Amino acid sequence: MTQQATRLVIVTEKVLTKAVAAIIESYDASGYTLIAAGGMGSHNTRSSGEPSVLDHFGNIKIEVITADPDSAKKIADAVSERYAADYACIIYIDPVEVLYSHRL
Amino acid sequence: MSRFLIQFQSPTLAFLIGGIVIAALGTRLVISESIYKFIVFMLLLRVGLEGGMSIREANLAEMILPALLAVMIGIGIVLISRVTLAMLPAVRTEDGIATGGLFGAVSGSTLAAAIVVLESEAIDYEQWAPALYPFMDIPALVMAIVLANLYFKGREGTAEKVRIWPIIKESLQGSALSALLLGIALGLLTRPESVYESFYDPLFRGLLSVLMLIMGMEAYSRIQELRRVAHWFAVYAAVAPLVHGLIAFGFGYLAHVLTGFSPGGVVILAVIAGSSSDISGPPTLRAGIPRANPSAYVGASTSVGTPVAIAVGIPLYIALAEAVF
Repeated sequence: MTQQATRLVIVTEKVLTKAVAAIIESYDASGYTLIAAGGMGSHNTRSSGEPSVLDHFGNIKIEVITADPDSAKKIADAVSERYAADYACIIYIDPVEVLYSHRL
Repeated sequence: MSRFLIQFQSPTLAFLIGGIVIAALGTRLVISESIYKFIVFMLLLRVGLEGGMSIREANLAEMILPALLAVMIGIGIVLISRVTLAMLPAVRTEDGIATGGLFGAVSGSTLAAAIVVLESEAIDYEQWAPALYPFMDIPALVMAIVLANLYFKGREGTAEKVRIWPIIKESLQGSALSALLLGIALGLLTRPESVYESFYDPLFRGLLSVLMLIMGMEAYSRIQELRRVAHWFAVYAAVAPLVHGLIAFGFGYLAHVLTGFSPGGVVILAVIAGSSSDISGPPTLRAGIPRANPSAYVGASTSVGTPVAIAVGIPLYIALAEAVF
């Protein structure tokens, strides 16, 4: 049996990892997944490790799955309000069907 | 002039140039970030251990004047950038201030390179001199973030209050400074002589050569970023390290006259003033001045500032010390 849920994806800068994680935790999400990200966007090209060694400004992709769409939107609002103006930041949500999870 | 030729063939500079050349030729050699960080840790731990072991007997009151000078120079460099680089046309003020902050901050790898040269030339320096690092690094970063916020306040009437303690904490937690301070504490409080002599000291020069190769490759790859910002950043990055180093040399000479600060110590003060931070500074500035463009300050520091500080700065201050003292 599958369960309907909302997936929130935030692609932003590595320096914001702790701050974004704190926002997610403050909205009662039961967890999140963090992935090192690379790519190209309006701020600059960001590699994930190569060829530049000093990877201070790498990107991350954070995925949060929430049971209701509202808490996903609240997290998105809080993150974009504080960081979207000055940092690379893309946020999107999509509906997902969760096949297995202890709890959401 | 012959000094520069000798320096050109020295492992430090040769590996730096080698790194630039192979990167320009499009090498597929990749040295991962974790190795880079490990090398910086090893070098700074070794510098710290040596300092810690020898300051057991030193009179630390001697350190007060050079430490005060380091604080003044760190702050002064940022103020200079505020009235020079940040005022230029086509340079956004916040980018200029952030760049000044990075050039006021200190590079652990440049410091390690200078120590290798001083040791191979048998120039004595106070063993606590590398510990001047945080006294210049932290005030410069704090000053840059405060100045940028003052500027935003003046322009828009709104600014967040700058909390200074988190900046200091973040700087002290940076990888280079943590390793340096840990080394000093271990050298001072424990007896690490055996591991120092058998492991850290013999590896020092070899690891530095790998680090210089990485810095060279990194310098080349960041030139692309520097091209996208105003040319003034490249000009500043080429001139500022030497100006800052010479200012510090002057103040160091004053300390030499007043308190007998050694010529090698004066060279170290000049080197850390001429260096620009490459590991811990950029993330601190990114968080502290979010509106400044990192391509401007990281590009200026890594692609031009650090090679100039190492290739021209270090031999210049040593030659000057030999001429003056």
